[in-house]
Parts: sequence; C-alpha cells; structure tokens
Amino acid sequence: MRPFDYIAAASADEAVALLAENGEKARVLAGGTDLVVDLKHNAGDTNLLIDVSEVPEFRGIEETSEGVRLGSMTTFSEIMASPIFQKKMPAVVDGAHTVGAVQTRNLGTIGGNFVTCVPSADSAPSIMVLDATVTLTGPAGSREMPVADFFVGPRKTALQPGELLESIFIPKASLGKPSAFLKHGLRKGQALALVNGAAALWLDKAGNIVEPRLALGAVAPTPLRAVETEAFLEGKSPTDSVIDEAAEIAVSECRPIDDFRASANYRRGIIKVFTQRVLKESIRIAQES
Amino acid sequence: MLVELTVNGEWKSAECPPETTLLKFLREHLMLTGAKLGCDVGDCGTCTVIVDGESVNSCLMLAARAAGRDVTTIEGLADSQGVHPLQQAFENLGALQCGICGPGMIMSAKNLLDQNPEASRPEIRDALSGNLCRCTGYTKIIEAIEEAGQVMAADKTTQSNTI
Repeated sequence: MRPFDYIAAASADEAVALLAENGEKARVLAGGTDLVVDLKHNAGDTNLLIDVSEVPEFRGIEETSEGVRLGSMTTFSEIMASPIFQKKMPAVVDGAHTVGAVQTRNLGTIGGNFVTCVPSADSAPSIMVLDATVTLTGPAGSREMPVADFFVGPRKTALQPGELLESIFIPKASLGKPSAFLKHGLRKGQALALVNGAAALWLDKAGNIVEPRLALGAVAPTPLRAVETEAFLEGKSPTDSVIDEAAEIAVSECRPIDDFRASANYRRGIIKVFTQRVLKESIRIAQES
Repeated sequence: MLVELTVNGEWKSAECPPETTLLKFLREHLMLTGAKLGCDVGDCGTCTVIVDGESVNSCLMLAARAAGRDVTTIEGLADSQGVHPLQQAFENLGALQCGICGPGMIMSAKNLLDQNPEASRPEIRDALSGNLCRCTGYTKIIEAIEEAGQVMAADKTTQSNTI
C-alpha cells in the first residue's frame, strides 16, 4: 500500500477539523471493507486516513420518543444483534444479513455502505422504505435530508467537501411498520445484488393499503424509491391483480443496465417478481398483526 | 507508528508504518504466519482472526485500528493440554486437503461455536460464507464443525457442573 498517515478522530468536531485542514488528500475511514481494498489498488494521492469508526457521536443505536437514531458507524453485525431492529425493523436486519459475510459485517458500517453509494447497496432499500432521514455534519453545522436524496449517483452522495455522515434517523411512525426485504445475487454468500428491494405498508380497517413504500436497488444509478408504484398502491385493496399492476409500474420506473452479472432484461424480470414478493410479504405481515 | 495489542493472551508491541494491515503486522512484525494472505480483498477469509470476540478479515483492518484490542489467531488455539476441539475434529474427519483455508475456516468456526456450540448446519454454512475452500467441497469441514460443537457443548456442561 502507498504510505499514508493515520489519525483516529476522538470526536465529531475533531473529525470535521481534520478533514477541513487536510482537504482532498485526506480520506475518511469507517469499517474499511471498501476503502482499504481501494487503497491497495488505487491510492491516488491519499496521504491521510481519518478513522471515524470510534467517534462517539457516530456510534450507537438509540430509541427516543421521536424514533430511532442509528449512528453511521454502527456495524451490520450490531444492527443484526439489536433488539430494537429485530423487533421493530426486521427487514433492516434481513438487509444487513445479506451484506458480505460475517467477517465483513463485523467491520463494515451502514454509514460506510451509504457513503460508498453503489446502486446495489444492500442496506439502502429497507431503510429507505421507513421514510428515514440522514444527518450530515460539517464545518457549517448539521443538516438533514431524506435518505433517498443522499444518494446522488453511482459512488456520488450529497456530502459536500468537508462533510461527514453522522447518523440515520427512523421516525417513530415507521417503527413496526410491516415490511420485507429480498436480495437476488448469483450466490447466497458474498455476491453483489443483481436486484434487491424492500416494501413497507400499513393496511387500514377495511384492509386497504395505506402509506405504501417500495425501494429497489441495482436497478438504476442509485437505490431508488419507486414513487409512481407507491402512488398507484395508495388506498387500493391488496388483490393479486393490483399487485401485478404495481409490479409492472415498478419495472417501468427502473433503469437497469446490462453488465457481466446480468442483462437489463433479466433484471426487469426480477424487479417484477421481487416487487410482487415484497408487497405480498408485507401484506401478509400486516394482515397477521 | 507503535502498535501495542494483546495477541493470544500476550501483550505485544511493534513499530510499523501506518498503512500496515493487521494481517501484515501479525505475519511480518510478530512472525505469526498462521493467518494467511489469500485474495487480499476480503473475499476468501483465509486471513480471518478474532478481534475483541468478533471475526474479521485481517487483510481489511489496519494494525492501527487493532491497537489496544485483544486478538486471537490460529496460533492461540492449542495449549499445553492439547489442540482445540476444532483442530481435533478437522484432523479426525480429514476436513482439510491443501490446508490454506484451514486457519480462517477454524477461526470463523470458533467465532460461531463460542457463541452457539449447538449451531445447526444452515447456521454453520451461513457462518462460513466468508471462507472459501477450493479443494474439499466443504462437506467434511461442516461435519468437523458439527463434531467440534458437540465436544465444546459437552465441555461447557462439564465445566458448569464442576463449578
């Protein structure tokens, strides 16, 4: 590896200050499962790693009267072991479980996964369907935005130079919302998703769909909220024909690519089937609860 | 930089450049060559070690991040009483062929069985998804882990009865 310096930041303020002082030649180290590989192969002119993995403000899972605050440096294993996530957001646990393997989940963080910002990020869809927001912190203070707005393009986020992803916030209204996550890769373990997706919805007393959410990954330049599908489903009775029509709309909202893993056409087929399955599973959970 | 940490129960320290991975630190600075360099990108798992009770790819972790922590490598498993139940089971069943995946397989299995000695086959397979073997087809590795789990569960019972 090309030589660089290493500093472990002890606080968010220190991390922001270090990033401001060192500019573009500094890179921010979270779990390292992407960045360390990147540095081995293409270090560029990186001369400093700022390790933020132990910054207290970026750590921990905390439930308040408003919702759940998830520190960006929480590892996937920590999410999977969290009683709050197991009980109130099991689809997020399912998403975390499909990331890499045990060793990479013990290192890798949800914040790192978000900032790397690949279209197939397995942690994104199940968080996006919960109407989550992210908090960014930088020299000018903090700001918040919906998770979907944080993902700007392949490997491009809304972070401005000098900004860091502090935390993810899931509002109380989304806790316990019936939800499901699915991933399709070429193998079960350690495979990038060809398509992944999550749904969340409520059913009203008449059994009609309320506040449906659908997010799909690896089907567009960023993880995608399928807003037209959601609008179509609002207030509908969850019949097979409604779900089939929703799946067709979801396919039309996506822009999958041909690559060596799968053709765009194959991906469209999976999008249709997965949309049906995550909706049906969410409906089943809603009907049973 | 000076990195100080506990390795297999002993306090160790060595100077290394900041860009040194934990794997390189163990192998080239502490001369513990049990953890192997395979893919060097976190896919094959032959570099697996346990840091503060969690298995990690030591090729993806900087030595600097392991400072002050408790690291267990394959060298830490056997003691004066003999080999670890996992090592014994791998030998009994002939679970290794070329052997290069062995240290990582055993450390991943240890990480699982320490938490859950009665892990089911699907749980064992899930726990090994980050360890690749190109020889065995995994069958005997999984059988060996099941056997070791039974021994470890029995040991646990004996220990708690003694106490």
